[in-house]
Amino acid sequence: MSTAPTTAQRTEGTNEPLLSVQNLSVVYEPVGAEPTHAVRDVSFDVGRGEFLGLVGESGSGKSTLGFALTALAKAPARIENGRVLFGDTDIAHMDREALRTQRQGGFAMVLQAGMNTLNPVRTIRKHFDDIFAAHQHVPAARREERAAELVGRVSLGPEVLDRYPFELSGGMRQRITIALALSLEPQLMVFDEPTTALDVLVQHAVMDTIRALQAEEGFTAILISHDLGVVLESAHRVLVMHDGRIVEDAPSADILRRPQHEYTRMLLSHFADPRAEHVRLPGLEEPEVTGPAVGEDTPSRAVAPARSARSRSGAGPSLADGLQLVVSGVTKRYAPPRRPAAPVLAVDDVSFTLAPGGATALVGQSGSGKSTLARMITGVERPTEGTVRLGDLDLGTLRRRRLRDLRRTVQMVFQDPYAALNPLNTVEYTLSRAISNLTDVPRDGVRRRMFELLETVGLTPVEQYARKLPHQLSGGQRQRVVIARALASDPQVMIADEPVSMLDVSLRAGVLALLRDLREHTGMSLLYITHDLLSARLITDDILVLHEGRVVEQGPTAQVMRHPRDEYTIRLLDAIPDPGRVHGV
Amino acid sequence: MSAPTGKTPPHGGPDAASTDAASTDGSGGPGRTTGGDPAGARAPRSPVLSALVGGLRIIWGNRKARIGLIILGLFVLLAVLAPLLAPYDPKDNTFERNLDASAQHWLGTTAAGEDVLSQVIYGARISLLVGFGAGGISTVISVVIGLSWGYLTGVLADVVNFVVNMFLVIPGLPLMIVVATYLSNGGISMIIVVIAITGWAWGARVLRSQTRTLRGRDFVESARFSGERAPRIIFREILPNMTSLIAGGFFGSATAAILAEAGLEYLGLGDSTVISWGTMIYWAQNSNAMLTGQWALLFAPGLCIALLATSLTLINFGIDGISNPRLREGSTGR
Amino acid sequence: MRYMLRRLGWFLLTLWAAISLNFLLPRMMPGSPADAAIAKLSQNGPVTEETRAAVEAQLGVPDGNLLQQYVDYLGQILSLDFGISYAFYPEPVSTLVAQALPYTLILVGLVTIASFAIGTLLGVLAAWKRGTWLDALPTVGGSFINTFPYFWTALLLLFLLGYVLHLFPTFGAYSATTMPALSVEFVLDALYHAALPAFTMLITSLGGWIIGMRNAMITTLGEDHVTFAEANGIPGRTVALKYAARNAILPNLTGFGMALGGVVGGSVLVEQVFGYPGIGFLLFNAVTGQDYPLMQAIFLMITISVLVANLLVDILYGILDPRTRR
Repeated sequence: MSTAPTTAQRTEGTNEPLLSVQNLSVVYEPVGAEPTHAVRDVSFDVGRGEFLGLVGESGSGKSTLGFALTALAKAPARIENGRVLFGDTDIAHMDREALRTQRQGGFAMVLQAGMNTLNPVRTIRKHFDDIFAAHQHVPAARREERAAELVGRVSLGPEVLDRYPFELSGGMRQRITIALALSLEPQLMVFDEPTTALDVLVQHAVMDTIRALQAEEGFTAILISHDLGVVLESAHRVLVMHDGRIVEDAPSADILRRPQHEYTRMLLSHFADPRAEHVRLPGLEEPEVTGPAVGEDTPSRAVAPARSARSRSGAGPSLADGLQLVVSGVTKRYAPPRRPAAPVLAVDDVSFTLAPGGATALVGQSGSGKSTLARMITGVERPTEGTVRLGDLDLGTLRRRRLRDLRRTVQMVFQDPYAALNPLNTVEYTLSRAISNLTDVPRDGVRRRMFELLETVGLTPVEQYARKLPHQLSGGQRQRVVIARALASDPQVMIADEPVSMLDVSLRAGVLALLRDLREHTGMSLLYITHDLLSARLITDDILVLHEGRVVEQGPTAQVMRHPRDEYTIRLLDAIPDPGRVHGV
Repeated sequence: MSAPTGKTPPHGGPDAASTDAASTDGSGGPGRTTGGDPAGARAPRSPVLSALVGGLRIIWGNRKARIGLIILGLFVLLAVLAPLLAPYDPKDNTFERNLDASAQHWLGTTAAGEDVLSQVIYGARISLLVGFGAGGISTVISVVIGLSWGYLTGVLADVVNFVVNMFLVIPGLPLMIVVATYLSNGGISMIIVVIAITGWAWGARVLRSQTRTLRGRDFVESARFSGERAPRIIFREILPNMTSLIAGGFFGSATAAILAEAGLEYLGLGDSTVISWGTMIYWAQNSNAMLTGQWALLFAPGLCIALLATSLTLINFGIDGISNPRLREGSTGR
Repeated sequence: MRYMLRRLGWFLLTLWAAISLNFLLPRMMPGSPADAAIAKLSQNGPVTEETRAAVEAQLGVPDGNLLQQYVDYLGQILSLDFGISYAFYPEPVSTLVAQALPYTLILVGLVTIASFAIGTLLGVLAAWKRGTWLDALPTVGGSFINTFPYFWTALLLLFLLGYVLHLFPTFGAYSATTMPALSVEFVLDALYHAALPAFTMLITSLGGWIIGMRNAMITTLGEDHVTFAEANGIPGRTVALKYAARNAILPNLTGFGMALGGVVGGSVLVEQVFGYPGIGFLLFNAVTGQDYPLMQAIFLMITISVLVANLLVDILYGILDPRTRR
């Protein structure tokens, strides 16, 4: 979509800014906690018709800033200082009623995609009617027609007007949200992570809609996102936010070509295209490339090539020869949520083999069956048809008691490090329990083993980390603890379910490098479940692309990425933002 | 922490590790209490304890809850120090009957010639006993049932679901009245048991839905992958995360128990020879205190019940703030 | 539709369970309530074999065949035969209950609906005007009065307004000089007598609804769809009513069904204080007179009334929440 920059260029000459932020500071004052400055002394202008990107990692203050720009800052957030000039009026200090009427033809906000931006007990039509009634900017006779027209603008049919939000998919709800914001006929639209909770392909489609609308309607847009790729592809100018401050403010092409600030350079270095011939992130290169891994984050000094890891696996702590995981003809059906419907086919005739020491990626969107497959491989669920075999063991027939034994050989790294650790347990407790339950380490050796594990995942000094509670650790550190817990029993198969999707980009590479090094050193095999093709390219040898429960493409990872054959794989790859193409870099 | 361990390479240094071995001993045993938690014992303060202290700080930071804690503290003092504070023996009926308030009898005397003030002071004992006794028992029942019910799935969970919902809709006081009538004159312990077994359902329901939420969290799945068994997951992993809900449930049931006890005593269903605020009103009603205009006899015990119940409710305002940060005082939405 | 059927099924199942509980209670008790009852009955004159059999069917035969007893008991319930009262010998229990029930149903029913409506409105207001006196007064006042024992509030009001100020009658549902009839005079007299009990129940139950609604509303006000409505410039009143209160009332309604039992229980005490001849007063008389059949029947009646009210609440919920219609 190359229209966005041209639109912005057309109006770039306008000397009068639509929005002018001057020395804005926003402070968070939660009850019973220290106040924090989320936005510190921020100033910038936005010209009419411009498409501005606002990028930053979690906690950078970008959403707080977005809320302040649309005069939605609420307690415990408080505008401490500065002005937000919309035209000539300071909307940061404005009378409620005046502010309310200003919203029509003024500024609109599209909140983060989720279940909850629409009122669950009101139909879509009533949402439109409420806005029309509030501002009286559409004559009553035209409202019906206008609502249908607006949902048409976001590529939906008029029949959605009579639906309740729970009857629509996530992508449809986000389109409705955009249409509702559009119904205000705003001059400025702020999009706060508009596609974050959506699937890759849906994300892509919604972003296309946003860009097209901006080009046609000519409103000024501010896109807030953690995803540098999306922002660079859409926006003409980008503000990089870090720690409440704007550290860089430059046209997208300049950011791509000549990033000035160190932080921007760091963010950019973590951005790569999985379709490229060679892919590398800081501290992480794709498996084929031999040579020592760089980066202080990696715990091990020397990294052996992946191929040799398999031959070394015989020396692993608890196995004479690695176990092979064979999934053959596995199908999983669930009973339908309601009686007359057909059973839900979550996994449909999937077969693959995970060799000892191998690394395979399972790639697919939500609902593709990848997590169900993982649950069957860990023995949590049983296949309806087909078998999952680990060595001689048929996991589908395991009894509960034996299932506990299976935890010694098959372990799991969870998606959300913020949820995977009990907030009340210390790191030591979490690890010690796994050690004493799953291994034969004598009681007096548990503590030593725990320190070993912490050392292995690079959390040193180990005594210090052992004592910590999860909230005292960063996201990346937590995920290392989660990995250490999974390593406690020296498993032979490690399943990692989206292990980095909840982490900030700058932390991802370290965790991915750790996973890859662990595999190479211990000889365990890795099943890496993800929707993110870049990380799959970096740490796996083979890939399976899942779509609606079926394997649509399978092969060596690098080959599939560079020369995809299946149409669905191609669509997935095409959905990856490509700012270089847009900006001709 | 000893310095050498910090530099110990992953596979070496058995001596360094053994210095720490002794303190890890407890890790094999079932850490039923927070003190048994090996990590907690080593850390400057156990995480559960520090969560409790943090919780108490939030409660104390809430103005309403602070007032509640102070009132409750006064009542506890009143109950404990009753023999010292009461001017007379509460059962001493040698005084003139139906006296109005005077310097000797600040609140007058009863129709049987007992000192009202002394009875009010001693009455605090029964109300606190029943409140905390019945509240405690029903909280324990609701924790055990609520957590297991929330963790389990299948037919058993459906059966429990039915029983709990059943107990929820059956009107509590009439059920208590019926049971208490059959067990006529069972005394205070009977009243405590009756209140406890009819009052646990609400707490169980609240805890169950929270357990359901927590059960889906990755840390529970993670504990399962660490080889933990169901009881330990329920009571060691999930339970400590619901401390504020349980505390709230406890104060809620204690309030209900105090009110129910007073109601049963007032209907003459308890042991009417025991001195409690409920029986005081029962006797006052029976001796037509309303006609003789002895308002203190009616007013004082009722006010005490109301104050005690209010103090518990106020404390719960603070506890609500922990479990639902949106309700915290001062965090005004507009 | 599925939702409604499920609720109906749940109602029937609970009804059966309540009836069975009523059967089991006296049989689970230590000693023999039946023997005690027959001993009590014999004070009124010789006990016939028929009466003895009827009493045992209700309260249990020691060492009898439990299943047979259960079948007999269900038969009695279906024919609305609850036996003979001991306290009001020889009145049949069903007659006594039928006389008292209308008073309670009207009193408790109207008061509960009124207090739920008023309490919900005040709760909405309190949450919307959070931090102002409109929040503080109903919340603190409501929760304070809420902790008053029902009977004590009743006694205070009776003492002040009845005995001291002589504004309201102190006893009964109507004056001794009027006879129950469908005349204006009687209805006015009945309303006058019901005023004080009704007021007592209203103020003591109000606090719970206020706080329940306030908390549900505050939670809803923090949700994204409310923020989005504000971002779209929808007026405060519309946001408060259609986006926050409309949604917050759903959890409060569930709470309403559950709390109903408490209100009905409280009415037992209130009726006793005011000598109001409803079910609660009758229950008190049954308890003091150890009149087990009457007590059993009243308990069953109260439970069934609460179950029916819950069913109605469930149906209302189904109408208000489109998500139950899928």
